[in-house]
Parts: sequence; C-alpha cells; structure tokens
Amino acid sequence: MAAAAVASGAILYASFFGAGPLPALGPSFNPTTGAWTMALDASVRNETLRLAGLDKPVTVTFEADGTTHIVAQTDHDVFLATGYVHARYRLFQMDLLRRQGEGRLSEVVGKAALDSDRFELQLGLLRTAELEWSALAPDNRVRKALVAYAQGVNDRIAQVESDNQLPVMFTLLGYHPKPWTPIDTLVVKGDMTQTLNFTDTPLVMALLQKSLGSDLTAQWFPVLPPNPQSPYDTGPYAIQPSVVPIVATAAQPVSEQAALAAADVHQRLATLPAGFVASHDGASNNWAVAGAKSTSNGALMAGDPHLHLTLPAIWFQLAVDSPGFHTSGVGIPGTPGILIGHNQHISWSLTDAQNQQTFYYLEKEDAAHPGEYLWNGLSRKYKTVAYDIPVHGGPTEHLTVKLSVHGPVITERGQTTSVWWAGNIPSQDLEVLMGINQAADYQAFRNALKGWYSPTHNFVYADDKGNIGLISAGYYPQVAKGQPWLPMPGTGEYDVIGTIPFEYIPQSYNPPDGFIWSANQRQVTSEYPYYIGTASNFFDPGYRANEIRRALSQTGKLSAADMMALQADTRDFLAAEITPILLQAMAGGTTAGRDQQAADLLAAWDYRMEIDSAAATIWWTFWQEYIAQSFDPWWKAKKVPVERSEMNDALGQYLETLALAGKTVCTPPNCNAPVASACPTAACERLSLTLAFRKAFSSTTAKLAKQLGADPKKWTWGKVHQRVIENLAHVKGLNYGPRPDRGDANTPLAAPGLPSSHGPSWRMVVDWGAGTFQGIYPGGQSENPASMWYSNRVDTWWRGKYAPMLTAGQASSSKGAKTWRLHP
Amino acid sequence: MRRVVAALLIGTAVATVAVMVGVWWAPFAVGIGIGIAYPRTRIALPVGAAAGFLAWGLLLIADQILYGIGPAAEALGAIMGFGRQAAVPVILTCTVGLLLGLTGAWLGSAGRSLVKTPARSTS
Repeated sequence: MAAAAVASGAILYASFFGAGPLPALGPSFNPTTGAWTMALDASVRNETLRLAGLDKPVTVTFEADGTTHIVAQTDHDVFLATGYVHARYRLFQMDLLRRQGEGRLSEVVGKAALDSDRFELQLGLLRTAELEWSALAPDNRVRKALVAYAQGVNDRIAQVESDNQLPVMFTLLGYHPKPWTPIDTLVVKGDMTQTLNFTDTPLVMALLQKSLGSDLTAQWFPVLPPNPQSPYDTGPYAIQPSVVPIVATAAQPVSEQAALAAADVHQRLATLPAGFVASHDGASNNWAVAGAKSTSNGALMAGDPHLHLTLPAIWFQLAVDSPGFHTSGVGIPGTPGILIGHNQHISWSLTDAQNQQTFYYLEKEDAAHPGEYLWNGLSRKYKTVAYDIPVHGGPTEHLTVKLSVHGPVITERGQTTSVWWAGNIPSQDLEVLMGINQAADYQAFRNALKGWYSPTHNFVYADDKGNIGLISAGYYPQVAKGQPWLPMPGTGEYDVIGTIPFEYIPQSYNPPDGFIWSANQRQVTSEYPYYIGTASNFFDPGYRANEIRRALSQTGKLSAADMMALQADTRDFLAAEITPILLQAMAGGTTAGRDQQAADLLAAWDYRMEIDSAAATIWWTFWQEYIAQSFDPWWKAKKVPVERSEMNDALGQYLETLALAGKTVCTPPNCNAPVASACPTAACERLSLTLAFRKAFSSTTAKLAKQLGADPKKWTWGKVHQRVIENLAHVKGLNYGPRPDRGDANTPLAAPGLPSSHGPSWRMVVDWGAGTFQGIYPGGQSENPASMWYSNRVDTWWRGKYAPMLTAGQASSSKGAKTWRLHP
Repeated sequence: MRRVVAALLIGTAVATVAVMVGVWWAPFAVGIGIGIAYPRTRIALPVGAAAGFLAWGLLLIADQILYGIGPAAEALGAIMGFGRQAAVPVILTCTVGLLLGLTGAWLGSAGRSLVKTPARSTS
C-alpha cells in the first residue's frame, strides 16, 4: 500500500504541479485542452463568429500568407476586430509585452525576471500609461479606439477560456491571461519607445571621462561627428530666439560618487535582456524619390526599420477599411492602427531619429534632511510610489520608487541619480497615428506629426502627386546650461527647459535633388544651432546613410526595382573608403605569401559583404583588429570600466577620420595626445598609419588562418557571418537559423553582429506612379509554432523578395484566401 | 477474459469522455475504480494502465485526424529541448495517460487488499 501511495503521489504531483523544468504534466499535455490545442489553433478555415461589442457585421479576409484585411462599417468595429485578430494570433506576445512594461514578468516566470520588473517599475512606463489614459476625455476618439480594441482582445480571451483552448505558452507556463485594458495598450507603446530611445549614454560618457580624462573623451567621443556625413537637412537653419542653444564649454568633472552611480546603472542595464536600452543594432533606413526622378513618374518610397528579429515578429500585417480609415501596412500587436504603411493618397515609413531624449541628474542631498533633495534653492521631499511584484514560486517583492522633479531615481549608489526621459512625458501618439493614417497630403501629414513626442522618428513621406518629404518629428529637449551628454547637477540650473520648436526641427519637403533619405545619421550639419545629441552612441556613424545617398545620387531615373535592390545592398561604404588606403600601405612593404594573397583578394573586391566573398571577411576582421590594436592599450592603461567593443562605432569613426588624413593613434602609456603626428617622441611610441595598418593586417591573416584554414580564398563571409531569427520565448528549437547571410552593420542590408539577430524587420517599397505597394517581414502572422503562418515569410524575405500589398477586394479573390464573418 | 475486456472498454470510454471535457486526471480515478473492482492485481494494473494510455492516446489520434498533430508535435519537441523530435511529446503524452491509469489501479488494488486483509483476520 505504501509503495502504491508513494508512486501515485509522485505521479499526481508531477501531473498537477510539474517537476523541475517540467510543467504540470496533466493540464499541459491533455490532448484536448493542453498544449496539443496548438494543432487546432494552427488550422486556418472560413469561420462565422459572434463578437460581443460589435456594432455591425465585419468581414475579415486572410490571404494565403496570413495578411489580414478587415472591412468594417464603423471605425469602432475596425478597432474591435483588430484587437480580436491580434489576440487570435499574438495573445502570448501581447501578454509578454504588457508584462514587461508593467513589471509583471516575475509573476509568470519567477525571480529570473525580478531585475527587469524592478527596472521597469522604476522607469515608469506604467505610470506614464496611466497618466495618458486619464488625460483622454470620454468622447476622445483615441479613447474610443482603445476601448474597442481592448474589447476585441477580451472577446478572444473569453473565447479561449470557455473553449479551454489557451495558447500553448500559457498552458506550459501554467497561467491565464488577465483581461486586456486600454492602459495595457499604452504600456506596449511605451515598450517600443523605451527600446528605441531610452539610453544610458550619459552614464557611459561619465565613465569614459572619469577614466580617460576629458581631453581624450572629447577627442574620441565628440559632440559632432568627425567623419564624412550625409545630413538630409542641410539648412539654412533659423534660430528660434526663445530657446538658448547649447554650446560645449569647459569639461565638467565627474566625481567618484557620480562615477559609482553611473557604473551601477550601466551594469544593471547590461544584465537586462535586449531591448531595454536603445542600441545601434536597432537601426533603420528609409528614403523617397520624387516623381520627377522616377521611371514611373510617380513618387517612390522605401522603408526598412531594423529591429531585433524575432518569431513571432514585432509586426502584424493588416489592411483596414472603414468609413474613416483605408490603410494598409504593419502595426504592433497590442496596439491599434498602422504604424508604417500607406492609405489611398500617401505612404510613410520611419527610422529612429536617435537624438538625445534621456538625461541624468545627480541630486544634491543633505544628510541632515533624509528623503529630501535640493532644487532651485529649496529642499524638496522625494515623492514615492510603492509596488508589489508577485513572484512565481517565491514571496512577493516590495519596491518603493522615489521620484524627483527630474524623474525616477534610478540609483542611490554613490550619488542619488534620477533620469529625465522624454518617454515619461504623457503623449498622444495614437492620435498622431490616426492623423497620419487619414492624411491625404503633406500638410495634413505634417500637422499630425506636430503632436509626436517620443521616440523621435524620421518620418519619410511620398504621395500620389509625386511629392516627397522627411520630418524628424518628436521632442528635442534643450537644457538651460551644462553638458547634457554627461550626468548633470540636479539643483535646477541644468534642467530641461523646453524643446526645439517644430518649425525648426530637421525636415525637408521636395528637395531640389529629387530624393531624400535617413538611416539614423545626424540629420543636420554642424551649422545647426541646437544641441541634439553627441556623435557617439546617439547617432549612427553614417555609413548606411552615405551609401544610400551615393546610390540615389547616381544619374538617371530610378524604379521600384532599384529601391528593392538598394534595400538588399551589401556595399560597405567604410570599406570602400579605407580599403584603398590599406592596399596602399600594404604595397609599400614586403608583403608575401598569405598576406599577399589576402591583399590581392581585397584589391579585386567590390566592397560588397556577400556570403561567398573572402575579401569581406578579411576587411571586417582587419577593421576590428585595427580598432582593437589602436585602443586596447589605452583601455588597459586607463582602466576604462566600459567594454571597448561597446564604443567601436565612435572609435571607428575617429580612426576613419584619421586614416583619411593619413594618421593613426599613438600608444600609451604616458601619452595623452592620441594622434600619431602629435605624439611627443619621448613619451609615446611612434607608429605611422602604414605600419599600424600592416601590423593589424598581419594579425588579421594569422587570426583567420587559425580560424578558417591556410587558404585565404576559403575565408568566405558566410563562414563567419550568420543570421538568426530568435524565438521570442527564447526556445532555441523554434529559432530560424542561424544561416550564413550577407551584409554587416554598415551596409544598407543591415546585419550587425556575429551572428546577427538584428536587421530589416519590415521592407516596404511603394511606387505611386505604377500604383504598386509591396512589403515583407521576416516571420509570420501567427505566434503558434505549429501554424503555417509561424515563419512562412522568412524565406521570401531572405531572398530579398516582396509580397504585393493587396486591396481587400483583391485579397478576397486571391488563391487560398479564407474569410471570417464577424457578427454582433 | 470477458470481464477484463469489459473493464478495459468501460474504463477507457469513461476516461476518454472525461479527459475530453478537461478532466485530465480521469484515468487515475478510473484506474482506482478498476483496482478496487478487479480482484487480481496482475490483471488490474495492466487494464488500468491500458485504459489511461488509450484514453489519452485515442484523443491524440482524434487530433491527428481532425487537424494533424505533426507540426504541433515538432514544436512541442522543440519547446521541450529535444529539437524538432515529434515522437518525444507523443510518447510523453501517452506515458502520462498510462502512468495515471497504472498508479490509479495500483492504489485502488492496494486499498482493496488493505480493506480485505483485516476483514479476513477477524472472520
């Protein structure tokens, strides 16, 4: 009896509660209500459904690839149906996104997510979302859209609960989705803002300044980019007199306490998953060509936002038709509306503008007045907000967040530091999106963008009249004084006092050259009178922008096919600049054997980072080696507490600038003048650019021979550079790839990292002359890994192909289309 | 033999219907019933195990016929860390049903003998 009881107890325990990494076996593997329900969920068929809250019948058509068309008789219904469709295909992703922003991941995954939850609650996405919601009047159209959208999501949640058909990840993690609220949608919007423009760059700059000293920091990480750039708005610029421009003044010292605080936050952020801090990996391209320069005589537009590539993707492709909206494109599950797309008259896409929207303040405290800080000469109490963080399998965590006038206190180690972040300013981005979705011309588009605050984006525009434009819309915070790229005193004099007026932000309409472009580069020249961020870690180094401008500048007219070719272009602008200088350096020496073979490959190279190119591997490895050899000795000598590789973009820009001038950096120790020509010979080792290049090249070939064999012809880029599209829940078996792929961090076809998990998350090409709209994203509409729509678009995307963006009428008669009829 | 087949059929039918409406632990309860009702442990245990196995297995077959479980099995294998090995979740699922039925029958059978043994000693 005892043995039977023990065995039964063990089996029942494992079945009810799971064991170790195993989920509760009973509910998880029950063939009718457990994880196997993904088989039913994966089936695609015609359906007739009743949805609570609908005003009138709605038709939803799915193309064979899952692209969704909603035709509704009221605007309310189009948002409700969008919520339902999103939840039908992406409920777990939506739940993860809201939980991430609301600091509720630990509730379902346990203490492993506690750091993430604490940070998010400190930063305040939830507080901002609540403020945004409370600011919406009852008759506000955004409020109505959010309520309708939430109703649609909740219709689906009710359906899966009553049918016992929870999506697989809920079943395996053993929890049920809570009802969706409009605030959840606003939090998801906040997630994206955080991913794109929350940064710790001022803290990193403080750590660099503390270790390297102000001279080296200013030289290597300047405010204005030192290398050749392609700003799209070249002026002339007018200055708005009410906002004082920021001028770089004498270096501001970084105290021990401030450095401690900076190191604390930097280390904390480094341990959080990708996406919590804006990174250069998340770059993007967009451009437009005027009708006058187009083979179709209509405007052309191309957009490819580069993000972390995941399965399911961040995008859901949707076309909506209702009395107020006729829009097609991609949106983010969890939010209504089309973020990138087109309507009947205009098309738009966006890239991150990269200007500084995060500022850190060192609060002045007095031990005699705990819980207070000094601001504008007065002692003020910190406000506090208390949170409970439920933890799966552990006790509830309690967190108290302190708030100064600048924003949430982000660390109290060393010196109490708070963060002013534009993403924490309540904004009505959804109202702006609705305005864009309904705009019929540039004026309406521009007017809508006046309300866009954060994240700042470069919105490219093209219309059916042949016009093009680009507006870098959003807040450009200006401080009263100080050096905003470093943490600033929180005593009041250095506070953010306003933003650049909309009329004066970077923008351009129908430029004389007939084309316009953005690729996260600094949008304006050095003549621009306002501070918008430093060159390093805010703006992209500019190679993609330079290459795109070069390609669009070529004589002759351009076609949609040219736009597609440019989106898949692998020409590395930096390689094209530096390789001839490198070959010149190699030519002067006694290069032989392996080095000579490698140099010969470079000499015959077209600067394209193709899978079968050995020269591409040699170039990339050489440049990384050259940066390492130039700066690692400095990092060691100065004990820099920031990973050198984190700063490679800026260091590369500096080295590029020197190389174009025939110079290189000298080596420490006892040398504070980093340019070789300025090195005092007594204190620093002299090294000419030629010798430095030869040394790095020799190390490169030795390294590659060790890694890939003796024959340089076999050092193909595909052997070292692969791309992977990662499963959102970090299930490796559900990743796509890794597979050898083209491109690098500097090519228009962005593929940073080895392996690369970032890149073009959506590609769209519009030809208003031909009336063609085409798009593709690397993923599928469904998060269900058993669905044929889980990763069905990846191969097409990988080959650089597109799918036509059909109208609802075309979709319903397309091969393999399925239809849902939704009734009230 | 006829009683064995009857117990298996009835047990399987009851367990299948119950599992179908979400009562996933039904094979365990059915197993207890078989263990109590059937006097010989050597027979009760395999019958209970078979009823559990069939209840979960038949529903899996129904899923296969209705929707096709191949992609779902591959995905589950991947989630479990076995690559896209479709057989692993299928075997695991049937094993859970089998173990529930088996342990239920074992417990029922042991309980029956526990009740029966004191009764004998007092007579």
